[in-house]
Amino acid sequence: MANTKEMKDVLFGPVFANNPIALQVLGICSALAVTSSLKNALIMSIALTLVTAFSSLFISIIRNHIPSSVRIIVQMTIIASLVIVVDQTLQAFVYATAKELSVFVGLIITNCIVMGRAEAYAMKSPPLMSFLDGIGNGLGYSVVLLTVGFIRELGGSGTLFGAEILPLVSEGGWYQPMGLLILPPSSFFIIGFFIWVLRTYKKDQVEAKA
Amino acid sequence: MSSNNESIGKTLGVVVGLCLVCAVVVSVASVQLRPLQKANKAQDVQRNILAAAGFNDVTNVEEMFGQNIEARVVNMETGEFVEQDHTTFDFESTKFDAKRSFKLDKADDKAGIQRMTDHSPVYLSKDASGQVSTIILPIQGYGLWGIMYGFIALDKDTETVKAIKFYKHNETPGLGGEIENPKWTATWVGKSLPITLVKGTAGTDKHKVDGLSGATLTSVGVGNTVDFWTSNKGFGPFLANVRNGALN
Repeated sequence: MANTKEMKDVLFGPVFANNPIALQVLGICSALAVTSSLKNALIMSIALTLVTAFSSLFISIIRNHIPSSVRIIVQMTIIASLVIVVDQTLQAFVYATAKELSVFVGLIITNCIVMGRAEAYAMKSPPLMSFLDGIGNGLGYSVVLLTVGFIRELGGSGTLFGAEILPLVSEGGWYQPMGLLILPPSSFFIIGFFIWVLRTYKKDQVEAKA
Repeated sequence: MSSNNESIGKTLGVVVGLCLVCAVVVSVASVQLRPLQKANKAQDVQRNILAAAGFNDVTNVEEMFGQNIEARVVNMETGEFVEQDHTTFDFESTKFDAKRSFKLDKADDKAGIQRMTDHSPVYLSKDASGQVSTIILPIQGYGLWGIMYGFIALDKDTETVKAIKFYKHNETPGLGGEIENPKWTATWVGKSLPITLVKGTAGTDKHKVDGLSGATLTSVGVGNTVDFWTSNKGFGPFLANVRNGALN
């Protein structure tokens, strides 16, 4: 049975030390698309964390019975079912946000983080550890998404979670919003800076020069 | 790993078993949550009707709708009110109900919708004195990629546009998707039917609205949609009745 230290490593390692977006560069697509407001980023983060955690858990439970010839299909079926359940739940309880996230919830199915963790970790680890690994990678994804969402919403619309922080010029305030931050390409820059800052502190993540 | 995992029997067994379990999970979630989703969808439609009537940022949609909007059903051919429950209409699916809809001739089908219902709800918004001030008509028509669903709000003179709103469409985000942009829909306010969409030269002309740049086909679709639903094939007979005092 795994000891507490190992569990802690699995759970918190992916947040900064082995971040799925910053280090493994997985799941960039949705990080660009849904981060224009903090609320969308938060709901997307929760959805992805839950899907990753539970898909890893279920795959790990049946890992000794999955024939290797169809293992990817088996993983996809489990992930897809979970995503449909999450999508239906969002539509039932937070309809307006579900409408805005639209296709990106469905695209969790193809998010490399979920499949990557299923294939790389859950296929050979016990259920509890796989579950924690899923949560951990979900947290790593969430940290990046929320950071980008925070900067984009504050800079692009002067609000946080829809509440006004910087009064806009168009509404009689003083803040001239940065149009670039509303557009998806700005996430590239912010994620770039995020990786730069991270690697300044964690030198071991810098790739060796060829 | 046990050695017989790769046998055909085991592979089929695992796949079929997994599919059954997943199918049950997905079906249960879908069936259990459907009533909530339906209520949300209905509320979203009501929210859009309220927005078309000029009530924005409503918190209690149902209450506001009940207080301010009167929903009636009209016969599309005669334009007269009939006693029917407006909640039985779904703007996306009712037109495929053979008993309540018909196929449009190609020549008549300007909006590209192929089928339409023979009755339709209309929504009336009243002012403080109880007089109908705004008529809100459900409209739909083909854009570039699919059918756009929305509402157009007319003054009771049946010619002046008070608002236009699209709540469901598949147009390209950033180009045709701008039909949702409040800045663009605001340019419709105060214009008068019939409306032509032009390229950047509308100015203050009452019958012209600037199309969306980079979305010519979507703009044409919106123009056709509005034309169709205000024509005799659409709500024309009803609007004629309104002009003759059907609401007084």
